[in-house]
Amino acid sequence: MIDLQGVLKRFGALTAVDHVDLSIEEGERIVIIGPSGSGKTTLLRMINFLETIDDGRILIDGREAGYRRDRKGRLVLEKQSVICTLRSEIGMVFQHFHLFPHMTVLQNVMEGPVTVKKQSREEARAVALDLLGKVGLLDKRDVYPAFLSGGQKQRVAIARALAMKPRLMLFDEPTSALDPELVGEVFSAIKSLAAEGMTMVIVTHQMGFAREMADRVIFMDNGKFIYEGTPAEVFSDTMDNPRVKAFMDKVL
Amino acid sequence: MTSRPGSNRISTPWPGARACALGLLFILLVIPAVSWAAPGNGDQYDLLARATQLVQEDRLDEAVDVFRKVPPPPPGEDAGIFVRSRMEAAKILLSNKDYQASAAMCHEILSLLPDNLEAKNLLSKIQAAQTPKWVRFLKDMKTYLPTLAKATVMTLLLVLITMFISPVGGLFIAMGRISRLQVLSGLFWCYIWIFRGTPLLLQLFFIYYGLPSLGITLDPFPAAVLGLGLNYSAYLAEIMRGAIESIDAGQMEAAKSLGMSYWQAMRRIIIPQTYKRLVPPVGNEFIALIKDTALVSTIAMVELMRAANQIYSATFNVFILFQAALVYLVLTSIFTVSFRKLEDRLGVYENR
Repeated sequence: MIDLQGVLKRFGALTAVDHVDLSIEEGERIVIIGPSGSGKTTLLRMINFLETIDDGRILIDGREAGYRRDRKGRLVLEKQSVICTLRSEIGMVFQHFHLFPHMTVLQNVMEGPVTVKKQSREEARAVALDLLGKVGLLDKRDVYPAFLSGGQKQRVAIARALAMKPRLMLFDEPTSALDPELVGEVFSAIKSLAAEGMTMVIVTHQMGFAREMADRVIFMDNGKFIYEGTPAEVFSDTMDNPRVKAFMDKVL
Repeated sequence: MTSRPGSNRISTPWPGARACALGLLFILLVIPAVSWAAPGNGDQYDLLARATQLVQEDRLDEAVDVFRKVPPPPPGEDAGIFVRSRMEAAKILLSNKDYQASAAMCHEILSLLPDNLEAKNLLSKIQAAQTPKWVRFLKDMKTYLPTLAKATVMTLLLVLITMFISPVGGLFIAMGRISRLQVLSGLFWCYIWIFRGTPLLLQLFFIYYGLPSLGITLDPFPAAVLGLGLNYSAYLAEIMRGAIESIDAGQMEAAKSLGMSYWQAMRRIIIPQTYKRLVPPVGNEFIALIKDTALVSTIAMVELMRAANQIYSATFNVFILFQAALVYLVLTSIFTVSFRKLEDRLGVYENR
């Protein structure tokens, strides 16, 4: 569905993502793990163009998308309307939720369809209520985000992303800002989403979750893929990659 | 009887001389003294003349006493001198603020000549002088209330129009300032630099007196609105830019991740979140604006300040300035309370 080919991102002298290839298949659940600062989040943000690539290319359904080259041959982002259309098909859930604080839960979930897709309010409302039901927050629909717990906020954020009916969901450390007892409710929301066959890429530090969810686990370090495999392979006791092994010993 | 030549020269040459000298002394001193001590006997013309003389010598208290000694005329005879003397006494007493005595003089005249206009006029003058300042103020206020009310409406109109224009202009300029296009951002930086960096008074002068030399002549009202609008837009632009930049960058990213364009995100997500943060500083600006409208009085706009000044020039009644101050205070107070309420209402989504 989406292919990243040789993507590169530099922040000054630091190479955050170093010529990475990633192919995301329809219905696939990819979990990216690795130490902090390894480029996981940057890679994830590249997929929906919140981070621009300095080199490489991004293919959507086999066609190059999002960038063109200027006269000097540098990569530049396509014009805004193109990018917006691409983004509207990719949902993203942030570590710090980023709910719209001036809108109620229901308004948050309706915002995308109404503003971007120009859906009627009634239609958007029906979809939003359905999604809120799925994440178990129907009773909170008229509450402002400030009055929710972290877990509730993140579930609203998931519903808000889903309201756009995306083909792909990106999760950027969705539970890292949560109290431990609230992690479970967010995971189960993501799991039920997976059960419906949603394609997703998840960056997380929760190894148990990675093991349970992933079709494919990618271990990233210093902007590169160090190891790629099934959960069984990555979390096996006989892991022979020393860097992965060292990381696993630390976190598990 | 022998006599020495020296003493002879000193002694009176003839015996009748002593009697003559005594007689002269009597005429010079005693007769006037007696006539002074018994005024009833004196001529009313003499009294008037003496009193007038005393007035000229600035011996006013004595003059009053003499004026009052002029007796009322016998029935049927001319009362001219009597009236004249009582009037003069009354005027001096009035200028000494002895209102009661002054009024008594007038009443003496009126008891004799009930229709005397001069006395009546002086009586009303005495009454006016006795009226407390605040009563006079109330009377002036009643007279000038329509003028002041009109001027207040004009001030309010200026404030309201500027309150409408400047946020629109301010948002426009703020958007230009945060633009990534250097040229645009620089252009609006210049605008803010000029309009915040020079006195509003000077800007008003330039628009009203300066622009005509460039072929643009504006009436006072449009000139005032333009000056206030341009100036306040610059101030509000900086406040709005600050508020927009204070919104968490994650909000823009979240909006973009839903597929929103920059302007959709601004309009739907970022700008609405600035409203509450904008209220305190913008409220401050608008309160300053109410007072700054006084400056447009310098470009021939008749608003509250100018009207108060005009009325003061006409009446020298300081209270009119107090009254104008009160109107400004009432206006600013209404604003203060309203903005406080607005801030609370805009903050409903906050958990506090």
